[in-house]
Amino acid sequence: MSYQEKQNIVNIFSGLLVTIIYALMVYQRHQQGQFDLTDDFQTWGRIFLVFIGISVAVRIVIQIIFHIINAIATREEDVPLEDERDQLIKLKATRNSYYAFTSGFVLSVLGLALGMPVHWIFIAFVAFGLIAEILDNGSQIYYYRKGI
Amino acid sequence: MAKSSIQNNIRKLRFHAGEMTQQELADLARVSRQTIVAIEKGNYSPSLELAFRMASIFKTPLEEVFIYKGDADSS
Repeated sequence: MSYQEKQNIVNIFSGLLVTIIYALMVYQRHQQGQFDLTDDFQTWGRIFLVFIGISVAVRIVIQIIFHIINAIATREEDVPLEDERDQLIKLKATRNSYYAFTSGFVLSVLGLALGMPVHWIFIAFVAFGLIAEILDNGSQIYYYRKGI
Repeated sequence: MAKSSIQNNIRKLRFHAGEMTQQELADLARVSRQTIVAIEKGNYSPSLELAFRMASIFKTPLEEVFIYKGDADSS
């Protein structure tokens, strides 16, 4: 398995891990009555901002740990250079992830128009953001294995 | 994923170039070994620039490295 494929698998699991743990923590605080997520949109804004910060920090740490473990296991310290094929694969995977997130956005707005509670749109953003990221990394693994 | 309509003689050219390894070719062409593997298998069609770079490495015309088979299929 190539470095890029392993990195994509790590990205999928770190994305799932961070999102699920953070979502559970927020839901627990909502259950305890520390804030009301069905009505308090300012809190939603804060939740998203904190999530972005935590997500970036955790992923950097996970990437560093992954690089160290990979270097020990394969005895290759250097990160492989990114060539034209890597860039094309990333571009196609990003396109797929945009399709997923845009579809989620349209579905959320449609749900809103059909009378769904407003707070559901935020939950949908998180869910479709995660799906888009999995699709991004999953597409990259697919293109690396099957060709483009 | 459909195979590319561009075939290549890279394996043969590497052999004639003193059994050059895929890694050596990758280093000279400034791409990863995985990209050379994908091109050899026909899973990836390189850019025009990379194709010319590879032809220049083998000191041979481009059409001896890559062969376009698209027209043959459609006729």
